[in-house]
Amino acid sequence: MPLAYSLPSDLSPATVTNTSSLLRIIALALISGAAIASRLFAVVNFESIIHEFDPWFNYRATKVLAEKGFYAFWNWFDHTAWYPLGRVVGGTIYPGLMATSGVIYNVLHALNLPVDIRNICVLLAPGFSALTAWSTYMFTKELKDESAGLLAAAFIGIAPGYISRSVAGSYDNEAIAIFLLMFTFYSWIKALKTGSAFFGTLTALFYFYMVAAWGGYAFITNMIPLHALTLILMGRFSSRLYVAYSSWYAIGTLASMQVPFVGFQPVRTSEHMAALGVFGLLQIVAFAELVRAHVSSRQFQSILFGSVIVIGVLGVLAFAGLTYKGWIAPWTGRFYSLWDTGYAKKYIPIIASVSEHQPTAWPSFFMDLQFLIFLFPAGVILCFRELRDEHVFVIIYAVVASYFAGVMVRLMLTLTPVVCVAAAVAFSSLLDTYIDPVEPEVSEVAVPVTGGDSSAASPATVDGAVSSKKAKKAAAAVADASSTGIASGIVAAIGGQSKSPKARGIFGLDTRFLIVVNALGMLLFFVLHCTYVTSSAYSSPSVVLASQNPDGSQHIIDDFREAYYWLRQNTPQDAVVMSWWDYGYQIAGMADRPTLVDNNTWNNTHIATVGKAMSSPEEVAYPILRKHDVDYVLIIFGGLIGYSGDDINKFLWMVRIAQGVWPDEIQEPNYFTPKGEYRIDDAASPTMKNSLMYKMSYYRFAELFGGSQAVDRVRGQQVPKTGPTLDYLDEAFTSENWIVRIYQVKKEDLLGRDLKTANAFANGKKRKKSKPLARRKALA
Amino acid sequence: MPRHWRAPLSLLLSAFLPLCTLAANSFENTAIVRTVELGGALVHVTTTYAVKALEDGSSVYTIALGEREHAHTAWLEAKLKGQTERLPLEDFGYHRDSGFYLYTIELPKALNVNQTSNLVIETVQTHATYPWPEEAAQKDPQSLKYHSELLVLSPYKTAVQRTKIRSPSPQVHSYTTPEDVEFTTDAVVTKAGATITYGPFYDIPPSAIQDFVDKKQKEIVIHYAFDYPVLEITELRRTAEISHWGANLNIQDNINLHNAGPRLKGHFSRLEHQSQAYFGKAAPHVLPSLQLHLPAGIHDVYYYDLVGNVSTSHLRTTPSTPKGTEANRFSFLELRPRYPLLGGWNYSFTLGWDSSLSDYAGFDSKTGKYVVGVPIMTVIPSVVVDDAEVAIILPEGATDVDYYAPYPALSESISTHITYLDTIGRPKVTLKYQQLTDKHGGVIYVTYKVPFTAHLRKPVAVATAFIGFFALAFAVKRVDIRLRRK
Repeated sequence: MPLAYSLPSDLSPATVTNTSSLLRIIALALISGAAIASRLFAVVNFESIIHEFDPWFNYRATKVLAEKGFYAFWNWFDHTAWYPLGRVVGGTIYPGLMATSGVIYNVLHALNLPVDIRNICVLLAPGFSALTAWSTYMFTKELKDESAGLLAAAFIGIAPGYISRSVAGSYDNEAIAIFLLMFTFYSWIKALKTGSAFFGTLTALFYFYMVAAWGGYAFITNMIPLHALTLILMGRFSSRLYVAYSSWYAIGTLASMQVPFVGFQPVRTSEHMAALGVFGLLQIVAFAELVRAHVSSRQFQSILFGSVIVIGVLGVLAFAGLTYKGWIAPWTGRFYSLWDTGYAKKYIPIIASVSEHQPTAWPSFFMDLQFLIFLFPAGVILCFRELRDEHVFVIIYAVVASYFAGVMVRLMLTLTPVVCVAAAVAFSSLLDTYIDPVEPEVSEVAVPVTGGDSSAASPATVDGAVSSKKAKKAAAAVADASSTGIASGIVAAIGGQSKSPKARGIFGLDTRFLIVVNALGMLLFFVLHCTYVTSSAYSSPSVVLASQNPDGSQHIIDDFREAYYWLRQNTPQDAVVMSWWDYGYQIAGMADRPTLVDNNTWNNTHIATVGKAMSSPEEVAYPILRKHDVDYVLIIFGGLIGYSGDDINKFLWMVRIAQGVWPDEIQEPNYFTPKGEYRIDDAASPTMKNSLMYKMSYYRFAELFGGSQAVDRVRGQQVPKTGPTLDYLDEAFTSENWIVRIYQVKKEDLLGRDLKTANAFANGKKRKKSKPLARRKALA
Repeated sequence: MPRHWRAPLSLLLSAFLPLCTLAANSFENTAIVRTVELGGALVHVTTTYAVKALEDGSSVYTIALGEREHAHTAWLEAKLKGQTERLPLEDFGYHRDSGFYLYTIELPKALNVNQTSNLVIETVQTHATYPWPEEAAQKDPQSLKYHSELLVLSPYKTAVQRTKIRSPSPQVHSYTTPEDVEFTTDAVVTKAGATITYGPFYDIPPSAIQDFVDKKQKEIVIHYAFDYPVLEITELRRTAEISHWGANLNIQDNINLHNAGPRLKGHFSRLEHQSQAYFGKAAPHVLPSLQLHLPAGIHDVYYYDLVGNVSTSHLRTTPSTPKGTEANRFSFLELRPRYPLLGGWNYSFTLGWDSSLSDYAGFDSKTGKYVVGVPIMTVIPSVVVDDAEVAIILPEGATDVDYYAPYPALSESISTHITYLDTIGRPKVTLKYQQLTDKHGGVIYVTYKVPFTAHLRKPVAVATAFIGFFALAFAVKRVDIRLRRK
């Protein structure tokens, strides 16, 4: 048995096991450290702050939970949101995230560690990313072996596709959901493998946690039945599958119904019907198996034939009947938009107006996954090689998630774990093949076990832990499947080896060295890429903007917090603020003031009302504002410093959403120039120029340039020199860089005139005074 | 109202001594000169009494404050002219018969007949001015009004007195010219530059009597321009945490800042604000930033508010000065609120820093006690602090806690505070004050003992927790609870 390099043979098996176990623990600890550390860019570059929009609500809800206790949180009716409707918070959220933070908060405080609730919220996502790495390790271990598991853990730990949703401060449901997703899948596979009701129950429990934490739980609700159905169709029905699925479905469904927001959905909506159907099918199949064990095969065939027809007809009728009677809700809009990417734009502009609901651009696959995206297909193909039950799962997962990731940018998140797993399988197969010292022989010789009993002495292992088991397996795989193995075939092709019918495999150290160094190089570039993307693209809190001073030092543009804090400190506690829904959560969180609409876009009409107010002329908007008790109107304007995410750029969505409700009053084409351009300069359409949003954005903007031509730096257009005037609103506050502008809604005129006349009178009085004077002068 | 004088015996004494009328014969004021330095939130009043004894052994001099004067006075101290030592001052409280608040000053040496002495009484008045007009637009100037009494009251006869009022700028819009004033033949009031002088008034009888006030006293009002923002700290909560393990003194101030100048008329226009800044003509009632002198030798300064870190500030630190030398070096913090503070606006923030404990603490080997001096507040010139709470958190396990405040607090308490890695909590001394001014920059000295075992409590607790965790992991790994062996 020739070896490419020698291995120490005087190590006891116990030493090898212990050493590899220790190395595994150390590797996992380091991976966790790397996963957490790479998510801290936002904290180091900026500060410990909650990011973006939705997290502000979660943070606010968590504060209520931490300060007032769980029951107060559960029964919390938020008067300040969706003014004047209010919002039943306890019944309209997934409480898993807040409950998790609340538990952590209480445990730490019980241990006399008074950590601020904000820091818990900020650091929750990085903390859970370490757990995700661990659960991915467990998942991949079931699929291949420990070394593949470690690679998968390292991949998921730093893959930008997952980091984008879990940097420090990104306190959103996804922060814990990916861990729950991976752990549910792991325990499902484990349950399926062992047929253990314990793991089935564990799957159900983590499924429940997932349901409580993220609306994306429907992914699990459909993945597991799909897997089970595929296994049945492949003729792989077994009692293990029956036990695993039944215990998951029964306990998981009952548990998930305890979440108020989910309620009876698991038995009443179409998204959950697949799980129920497969559950029924499993019972039938199990019953059929039982019958088959007791009757002869000819009788069985006729029974089967008859029953399949009867059950099929009954099932379809029942489903149709229930849907017709309204017992099962039809598919929701979000569901349709998964199949038809143009659907949302046509029918539900609110969903389409969110950038993360747009279809994914191709470069973002590379940006989020780098070389993993190339290894991903290889890993899926390798799954076909063994095709155990869990490999079938990964294949289904890969196909489904790839599709969804192509449809919506945000679903890149669900693709990332399976890409990491598959890529780790492929990468670890490559390393296994090339690090293994066994050289092929011309004559057939049984594989000596001593050869595989090596410890992790090989210098090129990335993960630092090569178990004896792995080496054994690899050696066996190479020796057994040397003639037909797909992996070795691919690997051999990469390595430039030509197939020879006699001896297949890798000869010599140089080939091994070449491939392994190459592979390590890929890993290195992956790390560099991930660090770069994380630090530059995914670590901006978006509440705070960074720019550079002329001397190169960092300059923080902090207009949002400036304006929100001004609202908080210098307006009455019950002053109602109207803004576009994007800023609702931030206003509630930072300014602590009631808002008309916020990021929980449950009431389309209310949002359309705000859209209508923004896109109508002042005199039309004013009654709307007064009817809703609006005291302040807040808009975002980036024209001065070139902040492109401002309200003028979002304006067309407001118009579209308003048009959806009032098609007679608001028409999108009116906001374009006759040539069909979207302009804000002199050529802008009159409707555009008269709209409240336009007026508020450019009010006194041109004056800032003191006579010279005013330029809007976002649109790159010249602003008219005589700016708009406001009759019904007063400018109340403008932030330092003019990003946030707040207007106060005037009260009705005391004399009962409309405000326009009142203003004209106030201004015109001077003119009238001067006119008679002039006449008198002329007379004299 | 915190004062540095002592008042423990006042109740007892006032029961025994109807002092005012009795004392009226022992002294005579040969001259009283009152100088009022007008300001924003604070008004400094210095009154010099040239006194002559009418009896042998006169050593207790009484001064009287009217009701309004008393309500505004936040600081009162008496000195002999030309000396720095404060004279003992005793509060006799409200004297019902005359309607005055009386204070007695004990002269260092009893005076014999016709011997004279010069007493200087310094007071600081808070909330004594108010903006007029009450509202001002962003471009408008800022003016304040100050009300006062024309005559300085005294339980003694006064030969001559005058009141000088100095405005910070020569721009005095108006001042009262009282009519029908007795005691004088000349013009009652003269104005020279920024100084308005009332008097001199001659031969005033003992005036600290309600009857005199009703008949002879006149009110004067000064309306003057003030070119700086009028600032109030409505609430100051200072927490000083002493850590022996970290050799660190952390001081954190939670401050509610309020611009007490004229309320903003209309609305804030950023355009106007920016053009004012551009032309260098900042409005007097707008506060763009605040200059603070923090102690020397501090590090890790933080400045944040309810929504996070505030990045708009500049800090220049200086190394700490050796102990015993005069602290004349400061770290300089230019603190910019998130938004310019216009009239009537509020801004709340938190400012804190770490400093080496050795700069503030000492160990007395005789008594075995540590002594730590914690400044009551960071003095911001011409700012009044309405409510202040100073909490000093001592190390865990500190015993024999004593504290010495430079002036008595309104309320004092010792409670327990539990923070990181504590097992039994730390003693926390809390003192509450009201109406602090720039004269109140004192130091609270705290002495305490920390036994050696208390120092060890923390590492032992942490070690126990970790050992417990490892033992648990050890046990779980080795106990097999499976029903069937694999």
